Amino acid sequence: MRKPLPFNDIRHLQAHQFLVDEAYLLDGQHYEAWLDTLTEDIRYVMPVRVTTARGAGFDTSPGMAHFDEDKYSLSQRVARFATEHAWTEDPPSRLRHFITNVRTFACDDETQLIVESAELLFRSRGDVNESALVSCGREDLLRRCDDRWKLARRTIIADESVLRMQNLAVFL
Amino acid sequence: MIPAHIYNDGDLFALEKERLFGRAWTFVAHESEIPQDGDYVVRRVLDDSFIVARDSNGQVRAMFNMCLHRGMQVCRAEMGNASNFRCPYHGWSYRNDGRLTGLPFHKDAYGGDDGFLKTGQTLLPAPNLASYNGLLFINLDPNAEPLEDFLGDFRFYLDFYTKQSAAGLQVRGPQRWRIKANWKIGAENFAGDMYHTPHTHASIVDIGLFREPKAQKRKDGATYWAHRGGGTTYKLPPGGFEERMRYVGYPDDMISRIKGVWTPRQQQMVAEDGFMISAATCFPNLSFVHNWPKLPGSEQVLPFISIRLWQPISENETEVCSWFAVDSAAPEDFKNDSYKAYLMCFGSTGMFEQDDVENWVSLTTTAGGSMARRLLLNSRMGLLSDDRPVVEALGAEAFHGPGRAQVGYNEYNQREWLKLWAGAVSA
Repeated sequence: MRKPLPFNDIRHLQAHQFLVDEAYLLDGQHYEAWLDTLTEDIRYVMPVRVTTARGAGFDTSPGMAHFDEDKYSLSQRVARFATEHAWTEDPPSRLRHFITNVRTFACDDETQLIVESAELLFRSRGDVNESALVSCGREDLLRRCDDRWKLARRTIIADESVLRMQNLAVFL
Repeated sequence: MIPAHIYNDGDLFALEKERLFGRAWTFVAHESEIPQDGDYVVRRVLDDSFIVARDSNGQVRAMFNMCLHRGMQVCRAEMGNASNFRCPYHGWSYRNDGRLTGLPFHKDAYGGDDGFLKTGQTLLPAPNLASYNGLLFINLDPNAEPLEDFLGDFRFYLDFYTKQSAAGLQVRGPQRWRIKANWKIGAENFAGDMYHTPHTHASIVDIGLFREPKAQKRKDGATYWAHRGGGTTYKLPPGGFEERMRYVGYPDDMISRIKGVWTPRQQQMVAEDGFMISAATCFPNLSFVHNWPKLPGSEQVLPFISIRLWQPISENETEVCSWFAVDSAAPEDFKNDSYKAYLMCFGSTGMFEQDDVENWVSLTTTAGGSMARRLLLNSRMGLLSDDRPVVEALGAEAFHGPGRAQVGYNEYNQREWLKLWAGAVSA
């Protein structure tokens, strides 16, 4: 097992703060500002989870993901929300990204950190619609860019095989 | 006119289960999902779980996923490779062709074959299983008409999506997610709703994901209906077959393979009529998409194909199963770019999809109230008050596909779909 950095390590504190600050951006749907926290070569992936027998050796759908994004496709998604015709988010959802279980791992390359976290997204739409939850784990690669950290890789591991959310017009 | 409550009515859903899904051919999987001997996926037809497996002799089978002894599910994974399925309850085990092979304490418990003859016992096979271009369908009615007859002339259009070379299709997925919407809405929408594109999907045009500057282009396309299915098309700019296929982004080697498998009439629909398939639905709940968004930072477009199942859960909930599909002989670069194009447009994160589902959930919720029982929805688009068409149907010289086709916004296909639905649930 690799060993996480102690919780009082400045690198862990910075990584943790990165994730919490990001959660506030995503809750508030400040997506332009969020895009700015991603490196130009960002890879943002959310595989489709499948139920397989113990010992099958895989638990994601071969070759299939919910998200398999780069900066271009994420920018297009953000640009769409900024139009007047993105009905799915008008009225907007009320979002709360809960981030916990954060662990940070040092890399050989000191300009990079690996950060694991658990996330629960609560999403409420309209007044009486049932709210929806997505629970997932994330493994991120943060890269030092000038004086701040940016997200260079994110793998989102959903905890459900069948999502109980009408769409993923959200980011995790 | 359509009673609004049919989109959220528990009594009708019970009838749909028994009379419609009890007798219709229902899509469960594509053969490319189980390429190797022993591969299996587990799929449902409404409440019935089936193991769809390629047995050790290469034969594709669909077996009811319930142990003959006490009824436990013998397979609880959704995909994998296995030579045997062993029931976790008492350990009865079955070969991947369904044959019962293992029965613990057979002699002690049953007195051997004297009490229970093991030979010849199998998991219950699906009453009917058939495939078309690798699409596997189950029918719960043992006396069902053959699949080819059920599909009828719609096969002409199915080929556009599922036969682009002799090698056939390969699929990835499905993505699965649940929406609080009635299953019929998506099926109808994909069958013929060109009218919603300019408005619902305005944001896609706003961000320049499509080369066509205005979604209004949609009305230049034709809708067609042939036997059990129908769909929508886009009108292509002038050109021959190759030129028009290139226009939507097919590379030349794929075009030449396509020419090798599409019939002259299928090619004429593109080359002479100038129509390119877009969305379609095969009754009852199988839909297709073919579209061609722009590649990053260029004016070049690239086509993708998606197959989707509207799996009914209840009168107000649907599980959407959405596969990405591509010709298996296509170049790897094409496959990868096409997959990315699919993810941006359709599926659980697709930008088209997001706005569609928002509408359908809202519609379903409203259809559950008492006022919806007093409202007849207008479904007469394309018809004048005396039932004459707003636009005449295309003649055989202008549209080489079978069935009825016409240019412009209309609801012929939705009406045809609803006629089949009404026929199925009322008898």
